[in-house]
Amino acid sequence: MIKIEHLSKKFGDLVVLRDVTIEIKSGEVISIIGPSGTGKSTFLRCINLLDRPSGGAIHIDGVNILDPKADVSKIRQKMNMVFQSFNLFAHLSVMENLTIGPVKLLGLSRSDAERKSRDLLKLVGLAEKAGSYPDELSGGQKQRVAIARCMAMEPRIILFDEPTSALDPTMVSEVLSVIRRLAKDGMTMAIVTHEMDFARDVSNRVLYMDEGCIYEEGTPEEIFERPQKEKTRAFINRIRSFHYHIGTPDYDLYGMNAEIEMFCEKQILPMKTRQNLLLIVEEMLQLYTPWLRTAHLDMTISYSEKKESLEVVFESSGSALNLFDNAQLPDELGLTIIKSLTESIDYQRLGDKNRLLLILKKMVK
Amino acid sequence: MNIQTSKESSAMVVKVTGRLDAVTAPEYEQQFTALITGGETRFVVDFEKLDYISSAGLRVLLAMAKQIKAKSGQIHLANIGGAVREVFDISGFGSIFPMHESVISALNATAG
Repeated sequence: MIKIEHLSKKFGDLVVLRDVTIEIKSGEVISIIGPSGTGKSTFLRCINLLDRPSGGAIHIDGVNILDPKADVSKIRQKMNMVFQSFNLFAHLSVMENLTIGPVKLLGLSRSDAERKSRDLLKLVGLAEKAGSYPDELSGGQKQRVAIARCMAMEPRIILFDEPTSALDPTMVSEVLSVIRRLAKDGMTMAIVTHEMDFARDVSNRVLYMDEGCIYEEGTPEEIFERPQKEKTRAFINRIRSFHYHIGTPDYDLYGMNAEIEMFCEKQILPMKTRQNLLLIVEEMLQLYTPWLRTAHLDMTISYSEKKESLEVVFESSGSALNLFDNAQLPDELGLTIIKSLTESIDYQRLGDKNRLLLILKKMVK
Repeated sequence: MNIQTSKESSAMVVKVTGRLDAVTAPEYEQQFTALITGGETRFVVDFEKLDYISSAGLRVLLAMAKQIKAKSGQIHLANIGGAVREVFDISGFGSIFPMHESVISALNATAG
């Protein structure tokens, strides 16, 4: 139904969309998730031509809508958009908000348009508000009217741009349940959202956007349970990371400790966890010291807020080296300490790098 | 790092403060060695003000114990608690060194 190929969008020198290619089939519900500022909303606005794409092609039912000869207003009728900030006509009643489009653009008679609008208001649970004005409605009600107004134009697809972001938490669910209902009725939809649970159970497909492209896509299960790529995993598990590079055996232990403590502070990790982390890092660096003259070491500490787990990855250059298999250790002290504070230690040789992954034991609360 | 020593009748009391880690270990080792070569053979190490110890610190204690043993001396540890205590437990050091609740009881043990 909609085929998007190599879509790009620049604002001046700022590249917001680099290269987006995707096909949306009739009846699909697609959720678009990802960090702020990665082009999700711009992507929707480009599909709808609210922002003119800088490059690429968008085919709707076989017609390239970026073709200068294409009839933009006719194409726009096939898709409609629900905005974060509702965008209702404040000077018109709810009923008039719904009928103005069908009467003026679709050529419906007023009575036909009103009959249809009443059905739609029933669908979103607001039949009794037909005579009210937008100012008399709550945020959740306004957004439900906006959705009904969208439906009144009989679009083939609805684009939702963060439909619940401007709402009080108490009003989010009434809007989401309306969208759920449309999904059940087979409406084709693309939804930019930060409501992960909703995205997970309403969509057929989830697009994770990052760096101006579709970084990873899959079924909700694939994206939420088994994300394959690093940034998707970090986003889904709400992982915060701290990186430190060590290129000399004379590294500044206290300087590094201070940075680690600051990182822990931001994640609000308990004192005990911080102490254990600092101890593990010092012991690991002690083990690495003989190699630091020739090899570089990159340390990444990651905390998953969702899993409440803390892990440390050490990546070193140079020949294959698994510290824990090494017979050259002066004694077992460092190793014993590290082992007793970790849940698991995993060594991998990846390309020309050595990778050690340590997962810290969880604190008993 | 900061070492304070006080000479008691039965032993030399050494107070360690702050951190005993890879950075401070060499200095501690130097100072302990100086005391031992200076003729001291009986030591009580007071850990009350020590916040942190790593394996580098444990090695200093081992090296110190070795030198003292060679001179038929004694080393007793006092006031080991908190995070330091845990590292002692993990590494099995708790069973290597005689540990005491207070400097007084450590001194009594040295005298006996």
